[in-house]
Amino acid sequence: MVIKTKKILAPLDGSKNSIRGLDMAIHIARQSQGTVVALAVKTVPGIYAIHPLGFLDFNSMTEIKKLLSDAKVRAAKKGIDLTGKAIAGDPGYDIARFANNPKNKIDMVVIGARGRSSAKEIFLGSVSNYVLHKSKKPVLVVK
Amino acid sequence: MTASFKKILVPIDGSIYSEKSLERACDFADAFGSSLILIYVVEKSIPINLLDRKEYLEILRKFGTNVLEKANKKLSKKGITVKVLLKEGNIVNEIEKIAKKEKCDLILVGSKGLGAVTRLLLGSVSNKISQTSPCSVLIVK
Repeated sequence: MVIKTKKILAPLDGSKNSIRGLDMAIHIARQSQGTVVALAVKTVPGIYAIHPLGFLDFNSMTEIKKLLSDAKVRAAKKGIDLTGKAIAGDPGYDIARFANNPKNKIDMVVIGARGRSSAKEIFLGSVSNYVLHKSKKPVLVVK
Repeated sequence: MTASFKKILVPIDGSIYSEKSLERACDFADAFGSSLILIYVVEKSIPINLLDRKEYLEILRKFGTNVLEKANKKLSKKGITVKVLLKEGNIVNEIEKIAKKEKCDLILVGSKGLGAVTRLLLGSVSNKISQTSPCSVLIVK
């Protein structure tokens, strides 16, 4: 194989579509003996980004931690190593930044076509679209 | 999960990006044992070239078969057999039609192509495919 997909980024938001994306990421990781990095982003309204107390919202952080542990169990069942990451901020921007960061060594981004932000969009969700445009790594959109 | 990529559709247009996506398709074919379908779409919906339209289309067709042949050779060197298609019409529509008809599991496109000006971001065709395709899409950057 010429190109190795060792590290796969799978952004999660708890929706069905993101779980499907995670499944696909696990599936690909199994084939190429890679690892999956699950990234859960807690949306923080822009105004809190300046305010330090905005990040101290531990209540909803537990929700995200539960999401990540669920993902870990899901990956462990298939025998894949999964590392969870929780970030607070704007989902699209932070996912793209995380993927582009050379420190993280992401080889591929696997993302569900829609999340939960816009209830029933027929086409692509806004976050997926943003990541698609901004990421410098290959993006797999799972439908 | 049952979604192993059995059939992968690779639209190519002869640009560097489509070559990259071809390489990636090779990897996938190796890893998942999937069959590839190469497609070149002759753009028919160009409003200019009213006078020498026929000639223009002829040139495009020739270019298309050239590109497909080259890709086919490249792949057969690696021992991958492919199905090759040459279609005419609107690029995005044709690609979607084929994807539905052949029941593809994945469309593998380069992020940009030959069309229009090379943009900083995503190409128009790749964008439209990712928006409206019935199956999963992998955008190779």
